[in-house]
Amino acid sequence: MGTQHSGSEEKSFGEILGLRDEIGEIQASIADYETGKKLNIAIIAGNLAGKTTLLGEIERINLSRATGIAFSEIVRDRKEISLPDDAKRVVLFDNCHYLYMRKPGGFDIFYEFLDMISSQDRIFVTTWNLHTWKYLNEAFGLGRYFPVQIFIPAFNKEDLRLFILKRYGKNEIIFASDKQSKEEPLLYIIKYPFELAFLGKKIFIPVPKINILYLKNRLLNKQEQEIETAEDRVLEKIYLESKGNPGIALRIWELGLDYPRIEPKNIGQFSFNIDLEYEAAFTLSLILSYQGLKKTEIAEIIGSIIRVDEILFQLLTQELILKDEANSYRVRPEALGSVIAYMEKLRLVW
Amino acid sequence: MVDVNTSREQLLETLTSIDTQTLITIILIFLIAYVLARIITTLLSKLSEKMSRSGRIKVKIIIPIVKFVIYVIAFYYIFGEIFKIFGAEILLLTGILGAAIGFGIKDLFSDLIGGLVITFEKPYQIGDKISIGSYYGEVTDISLRATKLVTPDANTVTAPNSLIFNEAVASGNYGASEMMVVIDLYIAGESNVETAMRILREAVVSSKYVYISKKSPIVILHKALPFYTRLRAKAYVNDLRDQFKFESDVHTRTWIEFQKNGIRAPQLNVLNIPSMEGNYELDVTTLRNFGSNTGGLKKSK
Repeated sequence: MGTQHSGSEEKSFGEILGLRDEIGEIQASIADYETGKKLNIAIIAGNLAGKTTLLGEIERINLSRATGIAFSEIVRDRKEISLPDDAKRVVLFDNCHYLYMRKPGGFDIFYEFLDMISSQDRIFVTTWNLHTWKYLNEAFGLGRYFPVQIFIPAFNKEDLRLFILKRYGKNEIIFASDKQSKEEPLLYIIKYPFELAFLGKKIFIPVPKINILYLKNRLLNKQEQEIETAEDRVLEKIYLESKGNPGIALRIWELGLDYPRIEPKNIGQFSFNIDLEYEAAFTLSLILSYQGLKKTEIAEIIGSIIRVDEILFQLLTQELILKDEANSYRVRPEALGSVIAYMEKLRLVW
Repeated sequence: MVDVNTSREQLLETLTSIDTQTLITIILIFLIAYVLARIITTLLSKLSEKMSRSGRIKVKIIIPIVKFVIYVIAFYYIFGEIFKIFGAEILLLTGILGAAIGFGIKDLFSDLIGGLVITFEKPYQIGDKISIGSYYGEVTDISLRATKLVTPDANTVTAPNSLIFNEAVASGNYGASEMMVVIDLYIAGESNVETAMRILREAVVSSKYVYISKKSPIVILHKALPFYTRLRAKAYVNDLRDQFKFESDVHTRTWIEFQKNGIRAPQLNVLNIPSMEGNYELDVTTLRNFGSNTGGLKKSK
């Protein structure tokens, strides 16, 4: 029934992500290394923007010459960053934002890591959270160690469509028009989300929009116009809400999907009115910058387990964070936009 | 000459014609201007507190200008619409005012001029942390006559605007929401300075109150003195209101890490400070370091 595109299996994942240029640049640096030019690479992106996926793709392409190491919590032991004896010439480190602990005496592993990547005869491809990168770059000049810096761009609408729908078979998902789509097929109002850092809020501004697809189908007298319109509206709302972030887009899709049916009206638009004490805001900025933190890690940084309990309770009840299966606290994907705007207002991230 | 005489006569005529009704109207106009200025000031202040740190300062900057404009409009209305005084008559009135000022309201006039200078030249703005004369604090209000400061001890100080003519004004942030804070720590002379400097640097960059930017770098300085070593951190606090919290946070976390690394505070005897049993007052800067290292105190006893 639906017209969704699902025949994308033949494409490489990198192409699906629309990261062909980024992959090309990384591959060129690896090729340069083979000819004697050592340029360490940093892949930098915000939460859920696809850096691990991109690194996975690099590992797949360079399977015979790459060794991969991934961190999932703050690194405390030097052994975790030491390379195995059989390490290959291209070393991939995922989630390097776990290499430091934001407290006095918490940067030793980080210094050692920088020493290793600058002294060893290997090329290092690393991934970093955007906020951590900016912090470490301003505080320690991290960028000097990585001549090649790849900032993952936001997906465009078509990439996002492919990214979401590649998970389903052809016509598996039913896109249904809601009342508004039926009543206002040509001209409709869409709420554009804006994250205002100076107010620390995410707001929605209604903007009238012409449905070009509907108009085109109408002129061509196509039969499936209603379904295509519904699909287009669903994906447009997801695209606007996620600002091209694939992780957020997927979460919004999952929240709106009543399998196998989805309607534009079920695509949520999320705005959180955040008002926190400074210490709670700082904790939230840590969770955002590390992407995921365990309670013990937060307590070690903040310096008080009792205070951490209070803060986490507050953040959980305001539905800003969630606790995942590995007992790490993460910012809810749908709250990311509001949280970042609030953090920028306080200048805890920038 | 004829014109001046005519103006003088007109002015005298106008001034002698002031009746109770006119006086009430003038008072009402000033009252309305005052209330309006207060309302706008309150609204802008509340709005600025909801904004980002840099936005807060930017909004507060316009408060004195808005007040000035309101009072200028009020004066213009009184002179132009009620007294119908223009041009040469205003000059004459200024002369009369000058005489009055000479007799008794010189200070008030000086404060008003100071207010105008502060509004337009901006030696400081609302939201700045300044020291003027013997006062230090955050500027919360600039009126035509006086500037209100809130000191670190939460005392409100009303400093006359004329102070700017006689005293140097130092603004710690000058319109920015971040401000440099200098943090001194004193350690025993035999301590490992390199480790101590690294710890201090990490305590500063990891503080929740720090403002990190390449334009505002963190500087750690070391000065070896005969009996002890001084470490100095120059760093920017994210919000100037957190100046003392920032200092305290850096001190606390640095000393915890110093103790783990065997870095001690200077011994009391090398500073020529008498025994703890006696009644004495310690220098404030020295005192704050000893609080976190009781080991040093015990040894000195």
